[in-house]
Amino acid sequence: MDDDLLPPEDNGDLQIAFIEASNERAHFVIKNSNLETANSLRRTMLAEIPTLAIDVVEVLDNTSVLADEFICHRLGLIPLSAKGIDELLYSRDCECDGYCELCSVVLTLQAKCESSDVMKVYARDLVITSSRGNQQLGNPVLTDPDRLGSCIVKLRRGQAIHMRCIAKKGIAKEHAKWAPTAAVGFEYDPGNRLRHLDYWYEEDPKKEWPVNEQHLNMDGVPPQEGEPFDYDAVPTRFFFDVETVGGMPPDEIVTKGISTLQEKLAAVIQELKGGDAGDNLDFGGAQSPTMNGMGYGGQDAGYTTPYGGGGPSATAYGGATSAYGGNPW
Amino acid sequence: MAPSATTTPWTTDFSTTRRQRLFKSPPNDKTAYPMLAAAVNPHINSFNTIFAPGGQMAQAIKDIGTKVFLDGDPYAPGVDSGERNRLYVRIQGVFLDKPVLPPSNKHVLKNRNILPAECRERHSTYRGKLRVRIEYKVNNGDWQEEVRELGYVPIMLRSNRCHLEKMSPAELFQAKEETEELGGYFIVNRRNYPMAIQRNAFTNRGPGYTSYGIQIRCVRPDQTSQTNALHYLSDGNVNFRFSWRKAEYLVPVMMVLKALVETNDRDIFEGIVGPAGSKGLEEKQFVTDRVELLLRTYKVYGLHSQAKTRAYLGEKFKVILQIPEDTSDEDAGVEFLRRIVLPHLGCYNVTESQNADKFRMLLFMIRKLYALVEGECAVDNPDAVQNQEVLLGGHLYGMILKEKLDEWLLSWRPALHDWGRKSDWAPFTSQQFQRDLLSKIIRKTNENIGQAMVYFLSTGNLVSPTGLDLQQTAGFCVVAEKINFYRFISHFRMVHRGAFFAQLKTTTVRKLLPESWGFLCPVHTPDGSPCGLLNHLAHKCEIATQAVDVSAIPRLVAELGVSSKSSASLDASVVVQLDGRVLGFCTPKQAKVIGDTLRYWKVEGTHGVPLELEVGYVPNSNGGQYPGVYMFSQSARMYRPVKYLPLDKLDYVGPFEQPFMSIACTDAEIVSGDSTHVEYDPTNILSIVANMTPFSDFNQSPRNMYQCQMGKQSMGTPGTALRYRTDNKTYRLQSGQTPVVRPPLHNEYGLDNFPNGTNAVVAVISYTGYDMDDAMIINKSAHERGFGHGTIYKTKICDLQDGAKRPTRTVSKLFGFAPKGNVKAQWRRTLDDDGLPRVGTEVRYGDVVAAWHNVSYDPAAGEYVNRDGQTNFFRYKEEETVFIEEVRLMGSESGNEPLQRISVKLRVPRSPVIGDKFSSRHGQKGVMSQKWPAVDMPFSESGIQPDVIINPHAFPSRMTIGMFVESLAGKAGALHGIAQDSTPFRFDEKNTAVDYFGHQLMKAGYNYYGNEPMYSGITGQELAADIYIGVVYYQRLRHMVNDKYQVRTTGPVNQLTGQPIKGRKKGGGIRVGEMERDALLAHGTAFLLQDRLMNCSDYTKVAICRACGSFLTTAPTVGEFDKKRKGTSKVRCRRCAKLAEGMESRNEVWMDAQGIRYVGGDDVAVVAVPGVLKYLDVELASMGVRLKFKVEP
Repeated sequence: MDDDLLPPEDNGDLQIAFIEASNERAHFVIKNSNLETANSLRRTMLAEIPTLAIDVVEVLDNTSVLADEFICHRLGLIPLSAKGIDELLYSRDCECDGYCELCSVVLTLQAKCESSDVMKVYARDLVITSSRGNQQLGNPVLTDPDRLGSCIVKLRRGQAIHMRCIAKKGIAKEHAKWAPTAAVGFEYDPGNRLRHLDYWYEEDPKKEWPVNEQHLNMDGVPPQEGEPFDYDAVPTRFFFDVETVGGMPPDEIVTKGISTLQEKLAAVIQELKGGDAGDNLDFGGAQSPTMNGMGYGGQDAGYTTPYGGGGPSATAYGGATSAYGGNPW
Repeated sequence: MAPSATTTPWTTDFSTTRRQRLFKSPPNDKTAYPMLAAAVNPHINSFNTIFAPGGQMAQAIKDIGTKVFLDGDPYAPGVDSGERNRLYVRIQGVFLDKPVLPPSNKHVLKNRNILPAECRERHSTYRGKLRVRIEYKVNNGDWQEEVRELGYVPIMLRSNRCHLEKMSPAELFQAKEETEELGGYFIVNRRNYPMAIQRNAFTNRGPGYTSYGIQIRCVRPDQTSQTNALHYLSDGNVNFRFSWRKAEYLVPVMMVLKALVETNDRDIFEGIVGPAGSKGLEEKQFVTDRVELLLRTYKVYGLHSQAKTRAYLGEKFKVILQIPEDTSDEDAGVEFLRRIVLPHLGCYNVTESQNADKFRMLLFMIRKLYALVEGECAVDNPDAVQNQEVLLGGHLYGMILKEKLDEWLLSWRPALHDWGRKSDWAPFTSQQFQRDLLSKIIRKTNENIGQAMVYFLSTGNLVSPTGLDLQQTAGFCVVAEKINFYRFISHFRMVHRGAFFAQLKTTTVRKLLPESWGFLCPVHTPDGSPCGLLNHLAHKCEIATQAVDVSAIPRLVAELGVSSKSSASLDASVVVQLDGRVLGFCTPKQAKVIGDTLRYWKVEGTHGVPLELEVGYVPNSNGGQYPGVYMFSQSARMYRPVKYLPLDKLDYVGPFEQPFMSIACTDAEIVSGDSTHVEYDPTNILSIVANMTPFSDFNQSPRNMYQCQMGKQSMGTPGTALRYRTDNKTYRLQSGQTPVVRPPLHNEYGLDNFPNGTNAVVAVISYTGYDMDDAMIINKSAHERGFGHGTIYKTKICDLQDGAKRPTRTVSKLFGFAPKGNVKAQWRRTLDDDGLPRVGTEVRYGDVVAAWHNVSYDPAAGEYVNRDGQTNFFRYKEEETVFIEEVRLMGSESGNEPLQRISVKLRVPRSPVIGDKFSSRHGQKGVMSQKWPAVDMPFSESGIQPDVIINPHAFPSRMTIGMFVESLAGKAGALHGIAQDSTPFRFDEKNTAVDYFGHQLMKAGYNYYGNEPMYSGITGQELAADIYIGVVYYQRLRHMVNDKYQVRTTGPVNQLTGQPIKGRKKGGGIRVGEMERDALLAHGTAFLLQDRLMNCSDYTKVAICRACGSFLTTAPTVGEFDKKRKGTSKVRCRRCAKLAEGMESRNEVWMDAQGIRYVGGDDVAVVAVPGVLKYLDVELASMGVRLKFKVEP
């Protein structure tokens, strides 16, 4: 925003300048970068930073009005703190069967309504019941003033819910619940100098199109009337606006995004070099757990349900063999 | 303490807290959604009038009258031998009880009421006991009273015979109902049946035409009708036609006229033509000629007096009308006039003045007939709403009930006859008769009227000897499906023109006529075969269910200058009628005065003119509709509210008067000196569902029709009391939202209680190619977060009595594992200790759902004992994995039988999969073609990624501009946190919608036209065009691939032909038909053709004899020396072979399965042919035709 925030001189090196930073947002500009890198960073931050989310739920009791799978789906979407997630193993890399303390955090949700009023079960009622690397990993994120978190289910008298939720490490590529951020603002060339975009207008583009003055001011000299078009120009400044879901502070998302991106690139280089297999470092990038061997893994063709596709003879493809099941004839 | 409902009107706002408050603690006085209740009122009120004092049933009893039966042997020689005793029977009252437990139930003591929720859960009928009080006497003895029970009849919900009638929402909640339960339907054996049917006919007002005819449908006070018609014969004569018990009869109209009143030819002549010397008589040559002829030709009958005419008619119709044999002919004639001739003017205790009314009406009809023939007036259109009224469920119900009662009384005759035969024709006065009448004779009649009513309601079939003057006998009932709330509520506003018209080749009946304005919704009709026949009422249209009090009208009209005499010309005098009764005649000028004055008084509420009265003033015109003032006050009429300008007050307008009125659509359109009324709102012409289409005035009209269809097919929230419902199949959307863009009516009808879709961020862009041809791309992350997730609930019944002959009293099976048998662990995966499924268990194909075992009753121990230790199961036989949601044990009403029936509710989770159907609210349906990863989706500068991407090509040809406006409004609404009013007709050329919402967007810092620069998610580059992106409410439709997909390579085949069977359920194939074959041929795809038509179909290997070229003569050989006579692999032709003579070498001889030994015939080859070819050969051989195939090489 202020020019003081920016380094005094632009010497052609890659620079990152924060415009605004808070607990929820990181608004910054990257200078002297290129479009490919900037977009890669955006994509990585959206989809490939590992976080923690409830992945497997063991339903011990559920007499609420909501169906098991409905509640499980809701549980999965509750943001959990991902502090120190690096210490946690991916479930598939862990040597355990199913899950253990090295690759998961277990949260227990137990509630029973005994009053005549409606009892609301909130995210804060999720209690960690396994040991973990630090005291924050896996805590439900509570941002509201009352520190309740989102409402999971409502109970009436006599209804009870008891679930063991196993939170695992994963990335948003697999499921949106692992996303550290729901949206990343991304913009370059606010003055449309590069003419990547042909503004459509009815009468007057100046009247109809809003101008982001803040970004425009930071994008160097504002465009002048009748300025000659530089067709060789490429975008160099990128405005990012990262908003966290809560599991990770926004600045960490950015740094994690960069490091994840680096790791991915390193993996590519590694592959290209072909070199030492003895290294055995896993640069395969992030991956999600395989849900106790049932779902995910491989492409989800879109027609499978997490219930194993059903049918008397589920095939390797997970779906039904035919419309009418096994072989009725 | 629940809060009471406020009278605050609903606005377009979200009103979330108010709705939530109402939902949490339902009001304990009245509903918060009066509009919703009003929508169903016609059904409930029409049912209420059946049993109301002076209602349909009370009138019907009067019409049924007293039945008379004679004793003695009707076949005895000498018919008039002595006096025959007469048994008089009449019905004095009909009573319908509220549903209660039968007295046989000794278990429940306190509350014996049966509530509808219980019937739903138990899959039984919500019904009450029907009783009648009959009175009978023999000859002139005293009336004796007796109450008979006539079985159980279904009861309409929330009617005056239902426990829910006056319950407040809070009480309804306690009764396990929807807090806004509307009622208006029946619960019959598993299903809810409302009756929304239409009476496709004339009203008692509207004369019509059958190649010159005048027809009048006379409705009796009990809502049954009798159609009378006058036919113009080519010689100028007029015949009176009616039908009785499905047979038609024709009577000279003069005979009816003369029978009605004591009259003379002069009276009749003047009645039709006008008195001598009246104006215009000279020009009336046409009419005078014909009336003369009419009078002359009648002379041949030689019936001069009223008495003689009546006797003549009575003699002819005595048998047909089932009048007792010993009635005098004249009395029978009176009965004929009572029952058949214009019964709307008097159908019981007919007075002389009523007969005079009938006489005058008939004269008027003849007048109009001649006017029609002469070309003085136009034909009335029976397809126009102007001449129609609505047959309401309750009315039909009452009509059927009346007929069943009538039939029951008539069925006494054969029973009495039977009794007479057996008891040597004992007289009715005998002791024996007194004793037997109730215990034996009536017992023989079919008293179970309840069963007949249940049959009618569950099938919709009308079994009636008279046909009730209706044009169809089936299809009177519709299941009130609760797929979502739109569909449910639509059922109660539906009007069908009649099944008869569906087969009609002409489309005239389907036309949307201007007369329908404001009564029938122009938008809400399905496309396809029922188009235009199945209409929906406009949401403000009401239906009269009771006749209003019009006793003051005749006096008022007389005071306004109406005389009983008319002149010959229409220019000099026109008729004034009330409910098909001629009040008199006046000048055309005076007619207008009468019409205007009555209207003023009616709106003002003075002079005893009721507001609901319809004052149809038809002005004189040049060959238009026959002029006059026609007033209607009776039930089954439609009417709608408009504002009466002179008094600035509410007026009700009916379909008959509307075409001749000047009603301005908006305030701006009021023409001074012409407009008398103005619409309250232009959207009043739309039905409830059509009103919910946002900005429908921007759309091309067919798209709005499509939306009306699709809104009713969307997965939504069928109700909040889902727990207490057991529908066969229910769809439910898990993440329903209230639309950001909606009209205030949305709240007024309480639709937020039943959300029907989700607000989605929609970008109109051609992005990946996966959005071609109405496909749409869904953001994978949005899907993962729950976009469009839904559930299907299915109910399966496990009935141990199934298959057994009902009703069996003996119990031979019980639920549960056999007490002494083994219980395997695998069974226990889904079943509990009691052998019933465990709630929440996942069930797959073939899993056991309930266990049962055989038992026999051990009278010594008084209990059921299992002897074989075997456990049997009900299994889940469907492909899809489901969860057990609820298990219901269904007992019997008497409460003393062991458990024989359970119903299991299954839950199928259905998250959207590729191929599922979605639609916006603008008839823009599409199939989800891909779940696109969020990172690859295009995104805006603020980082917003669309939930849904649709292709811009969906718009130019469909012109659903409303969707653009909704997108714009939705975006602005979401940005400012406001609900947007989407009522149509709110914007015009000066104040455009774009401007209104554009400024809102500008204020929020967005582009005025709703476009945004977007970036490719894949490269990060800005897209060259800015993208139209906004918030649109999306519905998920109930058509899902999981219910539809069909795959087959090989599978079950037809026994005879060997070809694949059809049908998805059976695992059959989809036919590669002739046209498909042609296409394959044209493409030269020979291998594919071979594969489809042969290999995947009826590929068979057949042995053929090369020598004789036949399939049929080849036979497998049998090993001659094998002990078991195994078949060998060799096949030989028996036709070409010779019988072995015993001399041949062993190698050459072969034996067939019959043990006959042959030599030769070994030129046999095996070929692959379609199976049907062989079949054809066999068929042809059976008629002596031989197919010969040349086999080469």
